[in-house]
Order: sequence, then C-alpha cells, then structure tokens
Amino acid sequence: MKKIYLLALLVAVIALFALSLGATAVSDVWASILKFNFQSTEVSDQIIWQIRAPRIIGAVILGAVLAIAGVLAQGSTNNPLADPAFLGTTAGAALGVVIGVLTNAVSIASIGSIAWATCGALLATLLTFWLARNALQLIIIGIAVSATLSAIVGIAISIADRSDVRSVTFWSLGSLSLLTWSNVAVLSVVAVAVLASARALSPQLDLLSLGDSQIRHSGRDPQRIRLIAFLILSIAIATSVSQVGTISFLALAAPHIARFLVGPSHRYLISAAAVIGALILLIADTAARSIAPPQDLPIGLLISLIGAPVLILALKRGGVQWR
Amino acid sequence: MALIEIRNLGVTRGKQQVIKDLSLDVKEGTITAIVGANGSGKSTLIGAIAGDHRLDTGSISLCGNNLTKISLAEQSRLRSVVTQNQVFWLAFTVRQVIEMGQSIENLSRVESVISQLDMGEIVNQSVLTLSGGQLQRLAIARALVCDTPIYLFDEPLASQDKKSKADLIALFCKMRDEGKTIVIVMHTEVSDLDWCDQIIEDLS
Repeated sequence: MKKIYLLALLVAVIALFALSLGATAVSDVWASILKFNFQSTEVSDQIIWQIRAPRIIGAVILGAVLAIAGVLAQGSTNNPLADPAFLGTTAGAALGVVIGVLTNAVSIASIGSIAWATCGALLATLLTFWLARNALQLIIIGIAVSATLSAIVGIAISIADRSDVRSVTFWSLGSLSLLTWSNVAVLSVVAVAVLASARALSPQLDLLSLGDSQIRHSGRDPQRIRLIAFLILSIAIATSVSQVGTISFLALAAPHIARFLVGPSHRYLISAAAVIGALILLIADTAARSIAPPQDLPIGLLISLIGAPVLILALKRGGVQWR
Repeated sequence: MALIEIRNLGVTRGKQQVIKDLSLDVKEGTITAIVGANGSGKSTLIGAIAGDHRLDTGSISLCGNNLTKISLAEQSRLRSVVTQNQVFWLAFTVRQVIEMGQSIENLSRVESVISQLDMGEIVNQSVLTLSGGQLQRLAIARALVCDTPIYLFDEPLASQDKKSKADLIALFCKMRDEGKTIVIVMHTEVSDLDWCDQIIEDLS
C-alpha cells in the first residue's frame, strides 16, 4: 500500500508542475499557481485555473477511471488480453455519443452526452455478453461487435456534413482539450461511484480467476458477477468516451503495471491501477500540450509512447505475475 | 440411508449419449470408486452429480433434495467438488486461493486442512510455480475447507507420487470414518481398490 501512496503523491506533484506548462506563456506563473485564486479575473489566473486546472484534474480522474475499467475487463473475463475496447464497450459508447450529437440531442463533451454514451456502451457490452457463451468467446465476439460499431461510427462521421462533429481524430485518438470544471464535477461523481463499486466487487473478481466451474461449485453464478462488472465498466468507459473520445491502451496497460507493484489480489489492484492510470494519462496529456505548443498532440499517441515501454519494462523485470 | 440417489439417468455430451439409464445408490459414510476406460463417462457422471450437466432423463438427489430443484448455493452446502486440470493465470499464493470466497466458518478450518494435506511449505508460494500433484492437493484443500456431507473427486490421485497417494487414501478413509460420503473417479486397477466400499465399472 505504501507504494500506492507514494505514486499518488507523485501524481499530485506532477499535476502542480503541469499547471505551469502550456501553449500560452504566463508571466510569474508560480505566483499565480500558489495564490489558488479560482475567481480571479486576471488573464494569467484564468488561463491557469479555468483552462489548465480542469484539464489536469480531468486527466487524473479519467486515467483512474480507465484503469479501473481495464481491471474489471481483465478480471471479469479472466483474460490478460481483455480491454474495454475488446468487449464492444468503447465502440458502443462512441456510437451512442455520435448518434446523440448527430440528432442534435446533445453536444460533444456535454453532460448529456455521458447518458448517450452510457446507453451505447451498455447496449454494446450486453450484446457481447448475450452472444458469448464463455470467457474466451467474450473476447472474440467483443472484437467483432467493436469492429462493426466502430465502422458505423466512422461512416457516420465521414458522411456527416457538420462542423461541430469534430474530426475522426477526436474519436479515434481522443483529446482532453474540451474539459471544463462542470465536466470535472460530473467526472468526480462517476469516478467515486466506479471506484467504490469496483472495490466492493473485488472478492468476487478474485474468485473468477478460479474458472467458471469452480465458482458454480462454490455456489455462485459466474455470469452474474461478470454482468455486474460489465455494468460498472460500461459506465466508466461511457464517461471517458463522451468527455474525451476513445483513449486506447491505457485500460490494457495500467492493470498489468499495477500487478507488478501489488500482486493479483483485486482489493489492492483496483487502487493501484487507478493511481498508475492517473499518472500515465497526466504525463501523456501534459506532454501532449507542451511538446509542440500551440499544437495539441493526440493523447492516444502519447499514451502509447509512454505506457508501452513501461509495460514492457514491468513485464521483463517484475518476475512472473501471470502467464 | 442413501445420500446420493441416481434413478434412470441419461446424459448426452455433444451428440453422444454417454450415460444411459443408470441407477445407483451411494450410502452415507462410504467411499464409492468409479472406474473404467477413457471416454466411458466417469467424469460425465461426477459432473452430473456436481450439477454441471443437463440431464436427458432420470433424476439425481443429494441428501433427499432433487438436484435440478435446488439452487447453486444449496448444492454447494451439500457437496464439494474437485475437478481435474485447474488452470491459473494470476500469481495468487496457495493460501490466497484456499481462502478465496470462503465463509468465516470455512476460514476457521484453513490451518488444519493445510497441515492435513502437508501443504505448510508451499502455502506462501505462487500457484503458478506448483506441480500437477501440488495443484491437485490445492483443489482438494479448497474442498475440505467447505466441510460438506458429500465429496466428489475427479482423479485426485492421478499426478501424486507414491507417498502422497498413500497419504491421500488414508485421509479419504479417515473422512469416511467421520461419516463423510465420497465419490471418486479413478484410473486404477480394481484390485487396488480394497479401501473403497463400492466400485462402479459399467456406466452405459
């Protein structure tokens, strides 16, 4: 647990440092940061507290939420390769938002779009769940469902003649640039709910690693545990997709990196993965907006660039944590 | 009293009817061995008693309860199951796996089961490092912790060395003497089964 607290402290330090970085040069940046004046009308304070701060805090929360979704996906399917993108969840959420936006029901990154994404994510995940008979089939059918829904999203965006339906990049590589304090407020509520419910499910997730027949023999229904995990992960992914588009790889990598720190027990793994996810997304987003200002680089590329070597290093040096 | 009553049982696996019209009584406090050639339906029978398969015909009752009419939770209070080929992918320790999902009452039996099965030395090891025989003993440990009236074992002696085999047989006999009812699928010669009370050879 000590490692988790140390990493959480690291997240806080980097978040503070990230406030000083950005496209616009702010004079006396540390003086503005250390004033903590949210209501200030000064331009420099507003850049820091109304543009950078919600984005940074949003990155931390979303990273944690995505990582927890990854733990739930791997734990519930009993498969180290599982990722919400492979269960149809991510594509379903994207399709939900695209339909909501194209029918003028909601705008991108609005709070209403979370509801559309949640519906899409839930329907897609339940479709995968309903079509598959066991944990292995879940992945294969999930990939097929994802491919179908992603194709529909791509076609819908391509033929949509609307300026506010942003580029395909937003949906395929994600961007945190639209986050505001009201988004962060909603994200926080969802994050607390996802973390608490995932932790409550953690003893059951441990049990799923014994395999379906063992669980049935011990008097529980593995499909029911799986269904609850899918509900939680759908809400987590829907929130993320509706706010920042699809961010891939993080949900797959964070749980594996976390296992090398705290082992396989889900009680600790969920918290550890959340902190790792927050750390990676925060570093990636800070890099995305400060490597080549004023350009905002696609966040997905930076996550892969930072997360992939860490994942490889953890797998090579961390001893046998899974096979 | 017959703790397990099987009447006119028929079970199909894939397209083949593996068990046809089987009737069988297993008395309380006995050891029943199911032997026979590969593919003769031994594991299917124990799976059917464990509630894993749909029954084409007939019925199975455990302690007087019709198997198809009671919940998974009720079944788990009547019988414990040890299957073959448990596969792990996460590096849980042996102790973590034994304790996983157990009630507080079951947890109080963990220490005595660990010493009964002579697992003290491996209890903090990762399950990914265990041998086939050790994995089987781990599965048996999870079952023993549950303390049910009926135990179903699918080939529990298959990967054990000579001493472990003798120890396990002694353990099974001790359980029987304490009133437990045990059904074991085995690949052994019938002549080596003098410690069993009933031997079932022909399932079809």
